Amino acid sequence: MFRYIVRRLLGIVPTLLIVSIFIFLFVHMIPGDPARLVAGPDASYQDVELVRQELGLDKPLVSQYFTYISNLAQADLGTSMKTKRPVFDEIAARFMPTFWLTVWSMAWAIVFGLLIGVISATKRNKWQDYTGMFSAVSGISLPSFWLGLMLIQLFSVQLGWFPTGGNESWTGYILPSITLGAGVAAVIARFTRSSLMDILREDYIRTGRAKGLKENVVVWKHALKNAMIPVVTMTGLQFGFLLGGSIVVETVFSWPGLGRLLIDSVSFRDYPVIQAEMLLFALEFILINLIVDILYGVMNPQIRYE
Amino acid sequence: MFKRKYLATFLTSLLAVMLVISGCSGQSSTETNQKKATDDKQDQPIAKKEGNSITIAIKDNLISMDPQDTNDTLSGSIQSTMLEGLVGFDKDMKMIPVLAESYEASEDAKVFIFKLREGVKFHDGTPFNAEAVKVNIDRVSNPDNKLKRYSMFELVEKTEAVDEYTVKVTLKEPFGAMLNNFAHPAARIVSPEAIKKYGKDIAMHPVGTGPFKFLEWDQSDHLTVEKNPEYWQEGLPKVDGIKFKPVPENGARVAMLQTGEADFIYPIPTEQAESINGKDGIVVENRPSIVARYMAINTTKKPFDNVKVRQAINYAINKEAFLKVVYRGYGSEMDSIIPEGLQFYSKQTPYPYDPEKAKELLKEAGYEKGFETTVWGGNNSDAIKAMEFIQQQLGLVGIKVNVIPMESGTLSDKIWSVQNEEDAEVELYYGGWSSSTGDADWGIRPLLAGGSIPPKSYNVAYYQNEKADQLINAALQTADPEKRKAAYAEVQEMIWEDAPWAFLVVEDTMAGMKNYLHGVYLLPDGSMSAREAEIK
Repeated sequence: MFRYIVRRLLGIVPTLLIVSIFIFLFVHMIPGDPARLVAGPDASYQDVELVRQELGLDKPLVSQYFTYISNLAQADLGTSMKTKRPVFDEIAARFMPTFWLTVWSMAWAIVFGLLIGVISATKRNKWQDYTGMFSAVSGISLPSFWLGLMLIQLFSVQLGWFPTGGNESWTGYILPSITLGAGVAAVIARFTRSSLMDILREDYIRTGRAKGLKENVVVWKHALKNAMIPVVTMTGLQFGFLLGGSIVVETVFSWPGLGRLLIDSVSFRDYPVIQAEMLLFALEFILINLIVDILYGVMNPQIRYE
Repeated sequence: MFKRKYLATFLTSLLAVMLVISGCSGQSSTETNQKKATDDKQDQPIAKKEGNSITIAIKDNLISMDPQDTNDTLSGSIQSTMLEGLVGFDKDMKMIPVLAESYEASEDAKVFIFKLREGVKFHDGTPFNAEAVKVNIDRVSNPDNKLKRYSMFELVEKTEAVDEYTVKVTLKEPFGAMLNNFAHPAARIVSPEAIKKYGKDIAMHPVGTGPFKFLEWDQSDHLTVEKNPEYWQEGLPKVDGIKFKPVPENGARVAMLQTGEADFIYPIPTEQAESINGKDGIVVENRPSIVARYMAINTTKKPFDNVKVRQAINYAINKEAFLKVVYRGYGSEMDSIIPEGLQFYSKQTPYPYDPEKAKELLKEAGYEKGFETTVWGGNNSDAIKAMEFIQQQLGLVGIKVNVIPMESGTLSDKIWSVQNEEDAEVELYYGGWSSSTGDADWGIRPLLAGGSIPPKSYNVAYYQNEKADQLINAALQTADPEKRKAAYAEVQEMIWEDAPWAFLVVEDTMAGMKNYLHGVYLLPDGSMSAREAEIK
């Protein structure tokens, strides 16, 4: 187990290297000239050229990549073209708000998703199932900008319970995490339901019931544990997506997070920031996958890591 | 099947409930006209306000607090609460002395002398004097510093401190619009001690002479300034502090104003202006801007090389209807090549809406059956609306227009990566321009002078007119307002006739505020002034 983890961790380095090449190429292939955008809307040609030299964009692509990668090897993510501040600082300032928003969204999404999923599976084709699955479909289909604005309109403007945005107090977390978690809760509910329904048809469940175990114990202890494997995989993926920061939710709720930074830097063609963010997302996904793999073993000791 | 029907009913009713809730925010109104949003200001009671600090919600993140390295209007607006220039603009963009008590320009527009205000101190205690001004101008005019506003001061040959309170700036060559460059946000004066202390980090630590002092800046979120109790101007500042908070989503900004989390918001989308104005103690204020909206016509391409075709396009577009459709009536029709708010503007005879005349001109030009062309523009909803409206109007006179909206980076690549005139693909380009110096020169030269064709500058019409170029240059050889005025009057008339653009509209600036707030306003260039903010 320990050797497995070490091996996987070592595998991160070549993966990231390959990812970095792709990111670099993609970012530089987006049409649009950062020098012109940095220089501003009314800059002269000469200003633009000056900026281009300063940013090193006049050099060939290959040499730009090597500069980038050798800086990266020394843990230097570069400087933002837009703000001229270190990219590391730009990202660090926005990581925690996104991280906590993700944690809260996932927390309520997991609790509600599991609850709805389990109830729907055990009360199959009864009203509880229909209500549960109806909310799940709504959760997936409601566009988050609409849901977010509706929540603001109702709970902030009409009722005045929560702030319209920002993360200055804990109340600020409530509306965005509901908006962000709605889709995730829905997906978890649907996965739990279908997976649990399959498991409930297994022989060992019948055995359990036959030997007189309480239904609750059968469902929550014996069935759910085995039904969790696809749910955990999917939850891990969702966690990864959310950690990247939701552009829409962070924009609607003026959240100082990574999603807004990404959309800002893409529209500004702020190459170093886009690259660093993409690399961070890749790293997050690799780590989450590793954690998910380890969780498999915890849930099902039959799974071996060799 | 039966169950599914229930589901459908439930879903529909839920949607209905949601729509009722959302109805509060989405009312639209159909009446238009040349309008003033502020009419119903007096009808409502003054909203309640606690404390003496205000919050202003803005659209974008702030980029820099170094005035000489800033080229976005928004960062410049926030700087204006802390930093001041020798000269500045008043509410209508007329030039006024600020840190200079008086100023004069030599006849040949080469030497500029400023008499400075005495007894002013920077926030860090450094005295404001001629030496401080010299440090600032030397800094921005030195290309090695690679500051974004270098080009505005590259003509400076030398800056001298004649005595403690007199500064003399000499240019390499005459430049008649130089005073406007000194009034520009880029010429605001920063404490020389702070420049020494922070170096490049001055962008994070603005120290000026303004009514507010820099307090903190959380780059991911907000910037806060606090009252400067030692401010030189009597009676200011009137509030204890101002917090500037970027709120990118229009609806969220509006909600903040409704709940009172923000006291002033801008910009405010025209669609929402009417539905919130006059409720919850909210006032929407619209004022004429200097942002011109036009469609550049590539004058080197057939059939646009024929002036009759270009004039026909101008006759074919109903500008009044354009204004209503695209800007809900908040604006005015363009009646010269520059907006009325710019210095040396002179009114021209508008091209009236006359599709018959347009058809006639097309016939004379040999395009009786019309032709097909393409318009490029941005991909925001206003630009798309505008281009589709033009498409419809020109369709009526037989010109088939394909609308191609593009993301801004892609668009600027398509236009400005073209090195040779012959390679330019652009036929029609829907764009806008705001002359940040308030002077006619910067409203005309980058857009219509022969030396400004892409990639050099923004003459997307590829318009070349020797006579006009001569006049534009002549106007820069002198600082005499009368001579400049005469030259620009002739330029405006000439280019208006030549119609290298379809002249469209001048937008209004739109801001929303609570009715207890006074003294915060937008200037015609779209920048904001909060220096005189006051709660009443």
